[in-house]
Amino acid sequence: MSLVKDATGAPSLAGESSVRPAAHKRRGRRENLSGYLFLSPWLAGFLLLTAGPMIASLYYAFTNYNLFAPPQWIGFDNFTAMFEDPRWQKSVQVTLKYVVIGTPLKLLLALGVALLLNQSRRGQGLYRAAFYAPSLIGASVSVGFVWRAIFSDNAVVDKGLGAIGLNLGGWIGDPDLIIYSLVALTVWQFGAPMVIFLAGLKQVPRELYEAAAVDGAGPLRRFWNITLPMISPVLFFNVLLESIHSFQIFGSAYVVSNTFCGPADATLVYTCYLYQKGFQQSQMGFASAMAWMLLLAVALVTAVLFWSQKKWVHYEEGAK
Amino acid sequence: MPSNKDLDRRGLLKVTGASVAALGLTAAGCGGDGGSGGTDADGPATLRFAWWGGEPRAVKIKKAIALFEKKNPKIKIKPEFTDYQAFWEKFQTQASGGNPPDVFLNSVAFLAKYDKRGVLLDLKSQIDAGNLRLKNFRGGVEAAGQVAGGKQVAVPVGANTMALVIDKKAFAKAGVAPKFGWTWDDYFTSLQTIQDKLKISGDTGYAGIMYLYDLYLRQNGKAFFTDTELGFTEDDLTQWWSDYYKRVKSGLVTDPKKIEQVKPKSGLSAGLAAGEFTWDNFSVRYEGEGDSDYGLAPIPTTDGKDTGQYLGSLMLSISTKCKAQAQAAKFIDFMVHDPEVGKILGYDMGVLATQDQFDAYKPEGETDKAVAEANKGIGAYETEVDKAGVLGKITPHPSGADVVEAAFLRIAGDVANAKQKVPAAVKQFFSEAEAAFQG
Repeated sequence: MSLVKDATGAPSLAGESSVRPAAHKRRGRRENLSGYLFLSPWLAGFLLLTAGPMIASLYYAFTNYNLFAPPQWIGFDNFTAMFEDPRWQKSVQVTLKYVVIGTPLKLLLALGVALLLNQSRRGQGLYRAAFYAPSLIGASVSVGFVWRAIFSDNAVVDKGLGAIGLNLGGWIGDPDLIIYSLVALTVWQFGAPMVIFLAGLKQVPRELYEAAAVDGAGPLRRFWNITLPMISPVLFFNVLLESIHSFQIFGSAYVVSNTFCGPADATLVYTCYLYQKGFQQSQMGFASAMAWMLLLAVALVTAVLFWSQKKWVHYEEGAK
Repeated sequence: MPSNKDLDRRGLLKVTGASVAALGLTAAGCGGDGGSGGTDADGPATLRFAWWGGEPRAVKIKKAIALFEKKNPKIKIKPEFTDYQAFWEKFQTQASGGNPPDVFLNSVAFLAKYDKRGVLLDLKSQIDAGNLRLKNFRGGVEAAGQVAGGKQVAVPVGANTMALVIDKKAFAKAGVAPKFGWTWDDYFTSLQTIQDKLKISGDTGYAGIMYLYDLYLRQNGKAFFTDTELGFTEDDLTQWWSDYYKRVKSGLVTDPKKIEQVKPKSGLSAGLAAGEFTWDNFSVRYEGEGDSDYGLAPIPTTDGKDTGQYLGSLMLSISTKCKAQAQAAKFIDFMVHDPEVGKILGYDMGVLATQDQFDAYKPEGETDKAVAEANKGIGAYETEVDKAGVLGKITPHPSGADVVEAAFLRIAGDVANAKQKVPAAVKQFFSEAEAAFQG
């Protein structure tokens, strides 16, 4: 925008006194231009590959579109059909279950391990790297296959639970249990939020603890009254990021269920159903509507979290 | 300083210009390059040929392509391949963008869909021009390449029929012997015997296999599809799935949880059941996957005679966007008729569709003994079925058949897992099918 303004504004500046400012302007314009040129790969990518398709999908969301025939405008029909579709309802259920169980567990574990690692011990860096590693590889297809293997009949998990008297059988084939293997997969990747927690914990001033200790506060009380409020911005950040991330689960469900998001739709997460609708059943209009619905849902969750932070997130006075 | 900056900017502009030019180039890089316009079957052309399948198939097809290119030096074939599911997703995207492959592997479930979308070339003109011969096919299988109304949009490259694959050792141990003309009652009684004597299930799960239910319906004067919709009633399916659910509960059919876990391996080769219904040419996999001996057994009947069988097939099609149609037709003709190609391909895409190729290929010549054994069995099975005179004509599938097939399998799984009561499952299937036909 500023580029255009400069270009139209410059000629109006006339007269001797304006020679230097004009030169200045010209150089400014030139710098602007190079700035935009340097940005152009990103800009082109953003406009062509992100913004363009997003606008197109918003349009398709209100059409009946099978990729071949021209899209037909059908108003809100896709959205009403969605609410009546039993599989869509199922996908919402499955996704919510995954988010509501998986995210808190993951963050609890991340915080717990971060607290342990925050105490200075030897080899701390090593532990940190080790705990972080699953976050790097967890999304890979090969880990999905490993997961299938360890959660099958008579595999590690089945045998382990059997040893303590819990005979559940393999989780992978069981429509009631397979979702928990996905939860386990996301919880296992607690390393990323853990590192963020750790950074937050390092920021808490030591003197607060010392003062509290002098006043006779025990470890639990110190955690509750000092640590938690002091890291609440970091906690907020993690809750936000992890929930948004969880809503978009796709890869692990796809691989662990052997690409069918089954058995009996037990791992039919939202994006998986979206994918089936769009790419396997050629209902691009419906799939686009689903995508926008997901965006709305995630936006709503984000808004609620932002609204709630006034009540529980503590920003230090005068913090820059 | 300013000059230095200018230089930088010029350099940058050059780079930008080059990358824009490159973008333009990729957009122009598709289509046949024959100046001949594709009317001369020997004229120069480059054809994109796409199929689905694994590495062994790719090796064989590439060998056949090399042979074709040697005999037709002016025609170049560019191969593209991926697995089944990815193939159709990619194909849909390419075809909707006006850039489908020139020649591609096709299957009966997709014919009407892509015919309706204007992607499949009507092969009549090429057949009339003599570039593509539609004769000498076994058992009238060329009809499988027609959509309703008789328009030929594909040519069979292999012909398969449904079969019951059995664990021969298990059947022998239980003292059960399948034979031509046995009935469904005989079949389920045999499964009971197997369960009683060997304590294993007899079937890996039959009720979600669309092509098997099709046979059952055909035995009873119906079919899975009519030209435009489902060819059976909600009551029919309620019966089929209710019986199935009882058999899963009683253990006659394997617990679906167990089948799910061994995927992508088959439940039969994992030893979870004594038999499984599938296409006869798929039976090659069992020898490699499992420890037992496997063989092909006849499909059970309703009246003691009619199995309802037909030859289905994998096929080759040409896209309407293809610029070198004559050359493409010639290539398909070569792939389905040339005896040398038959020897190379074997039964990889189904038992060879034309008599010439079928006769040219000798399973004994396979270096892998298990494959040789399996292929011998498949060839014998098809000859036997043909002789029994039970082979009918395939019913063309309406547009959306692919989606219906997937829904049928999935919802039968819901039933087997007790996640849906049969009446609700049947209702859901009918409503999903209706939506699929409209797509």
